[in-house]
Amino acid sequence: MQSKRLGCISFSGIVAAAVTLLVLAGVSLAKGGVLYSPGDLNDVEGAELGGVRSHAETGGECKACHAAPWSGEIMSDRCLACHSDLTQNPQDFHRVMLAQAEISACQDCHTDHQGAESRLTKMDLGDFPHDGVGFSLQGHRTVSLTCSDCHGETFTTFDQATCENCHAALDLEIMQLHGQAYGTDCLACHDGVDRYGKQFDHSQLSFPLEGGHSGLECVECHASARSADDLQGTPNECAACHLEDDPHQGSMGMDCGQCHTPLDWEQVTFDHAQTGFALSGKHEGLRCEQCHTPERSVGGLGQTPTECVACHLQDDAHQGGLGTDCGQCHTPQDWMQASFDHALSAFPLEGAHAGLECGQCHLKDAEGTIFKGTPTGCYGCHLDDDPHEGRFGQDCQACHTVEGWLPASFDHSLSSFPLDGAHATVECSSCHVNDVYQGLSTQCNACHADPAYHQGLFSADCASCHNTSTWRSAQFNLAHGFPMGHGDANSCRDCHTNTLTTWTCYTCHNRGEMINKHSEEVGGNFEDCLRCHPGGQKEEGGGGEDD
Amino acid sequence: MLRSNRELWWALLAVVTITAAYLGVTYAWQEVPPSSELFGHLIGVAGFILMIMTETLYSIRKRSHRARWGRMASWLRFHIFTGIVGPYMVLLHSAWNFQGLAGISLLLTVLIVLSGFIGRYIYTSVPRNVDGAEMESSQIQAQMAALQTELQVRMQAQPELAQVMPVVDREAAPGVGLIFGRAWIDWQQRRRWNQASRIISPELREQAGQLEALALRQQELRRQEASLATARRWLGLWHAVHIPLGFVLFTTAVIHSAAAFYYATLLQ
Repeated sequence: MQSKRLGCISFSGIVAAAVTLLVLAGVSLAKGGVLYSPGDLNDVEGAELGGVRSHAETGGECKACHAAPWSGEIMSDRCLACHSDLTQNPQDFHRVMLAQAEISACQDCHTDHQGAESRLTKMDLGDFPHDGVGFSLQGHRTVSLTCSDCHGETFTTFDQATCENCHAALDLEIMQLHGQAYGTDCLACHDGVDRYGKQFDHSQLSFPLEGGHSGLECVECHASARSADDLQGTPNECAACHLEDDPHQGSMGMDCGQCHTPLDWEQVTFDHAQTGFALSGKHEGLRCEQCHTPERSVGGLGQTPTECVACHLQDDAHQGGLGTDCGQCHTPQDWMQASFDHALSAFPLEGAHAGLECGQCHLKDAEGTIFKGTPTGCYGCHLDDDPHEGRFGQDCQACHTVEGWLPASFDHSLSSFPLDGAHATVECSSCHVNDVYQGLSTQCNACHADPAYHQGLFSADCASCHNTSTWRSAQFNLAHGFPMGHGDANSCRDCHTNTLTTWTCYTCHNRGEMINKHSEEVGGNFEDCLRCHPGGQKEEGGGGEDD
Repeated sequence: MLRSNRELWWALLAVVTITAAYLGVTYAWQEVPPSSELFGHLIGVAGFILMIMTETLYSIRKRSHRARWGRMASWLRFHIFTGIVGPYMVLLHSAWNFQGLAGISLLLTVLIVLSGFIGRYIYTSVPRNVDGAEMESSQIQAQMAALQTELQVRMQAQPELAQVMPVVDREAAPGVGLIFGRAWIDWQQRRRWNQASRIISPELREQAGQLEALALRQQELRRQEASLATARRWLGLWHAVHIPLGFVLFTTAVIHSAAAFYYATLLQ
């Protein structure tokens, strides 16, 4: 059998479909959308709204309830166009309901087309979002309640006496106490979540009940609360409740939590280091009020000054003499463990001074060590140490340094005996025997013995012939029977070869020649040349051309 | 029976499963699942898709001579399966509300399902090969001759069995009765066989059963040959009714879907 090309799409089928479409179009034109209605509209009459007393009276006019997509309306707008009385006031039940996130339209709770006598409300009242009306049923889930148990006949109204009556039956005593404490406006505080009362989880707030707070009755803190706002607005500050308990009488300020915890007043756990003033040493064991006196804590504990003198002014052993910056020398460990940096003073401790104990310079009096006014001159301390017994004055630094008394570096030119010439290089001890510096004679012979060569011929006035540079270049300036500077002689020893009291001319003059020359004249005395030449002149002997 | 009608058992299993789910949802919601809610929509859309598959897939396969996607008989079984389950889901989708165009569509669905059962009954009265293609009269006669030879051989081998054969081998009167009354005829034949076979010794029961199957098949072919022309005429008549009815159904169903989308979604 040959199949048709179009298969089941037969001519008769197409005709049947076309006829069906025509019939449906005709019925739609004649009857409107009634053909597409899923069921009869509700026919129970009520108050007249929008010109009708029931949905059925609209006559199946779809657009009476169904807004066209292009109209800019939704179905709820069509509902409220007639049922405008439901959302007049913000507190109206339906307005509250429509404000709920899970309820966006009237048809979420209501329906129609279920028959002439059918209910228009389709929602299960057991699932009614009661939170939306400001009172959750969460706290009442444990008991089996119906809407009418609380609302009576009309579930859109509520009498607060219902709360009181029901809960009084459960626990009369509690209700009476509660009523006395907070009044009878239950809904002012209770929203049904059971967030208040013994079961209330205070830890979900910023003020968890811990320690001493955990066993309190609500009224002990929320005594004046008359509404949820009052409860939530109860101040968190300790002083709000503990002002009269304050043993510090306000001297520590109002922020008890800085030192105390809710566990116990006695368990003070304040970490003073957080303030930038860690309590160490002697400060560790102090009681708060020893520093935080009312006078020092004006404006709060944090305003207590941290300068030492704020507390220790009266304790200052120096009586203000060393200023107010105690920390420069002292630590909180102990006053006596001072560590003054003397370099910051006008008298840095250097050299031999560096290792000294304070008391070696700073004397004590009846009130303690005297630091201020301690003289900085050497004699202030070293008066008794002066081996010179003041003979060199009090300016020790002229010769000595702080490194030690020795070596000293005396500037002899400042003395009455400047050291020049050969004196400049000799050791001090060469002259200052036995460390005798004062009173020594400046005479040459105090150090220099008259040499045997002089044969006691000269006075102690060496300088009349000698200078300090050398003995040898002496210039004899006393009376000399023979002219000085005779011939080529330039030193005494040229003539006085053995002693200064004897002389010879033959150092320069040849004895042989002189003998030959004077053999006839002197009669054999060739030793006393001055007998004929007392002035050293040749002519004095009668000679002429010879020397 | 189970093998030849397994699509019906599968359909029954699906119907039971869907019914259980439907009852479960009904119990949970404490109401009949409305057409407009998720579950009602779900079974409606799924049922309609199955119905579309019923109307299209088998028809396309029948006409696809070049691309042979599976055996024709398998497609017919699937066609029957979807043709039962789909309308059943649409029935549940109605939430037992038969008003308006939705009610008309449901009524047409019921009609076309019943029509389908009738059509299948007529369809199976026409002898077909394993691929579902109709057999010509000559093919039928050849098969009958082969069966006759087999029967004679077996009866000669077991003369005892020849005593019961006349009971089975009765001529049926040609006509519409052979098409719509064959179930009755088959039942009567089987009852007579059961009565006659009581005299057969237990040792020959198995061979007798095989002989009965051959005899029934021969009789079925004889009946189909006799009613072949009538069956084809009725099948054509059935097509003339069933196909326009299907078009009307799908037209109303599409309009119903469009209207539901328009009123229940766009006009919200």
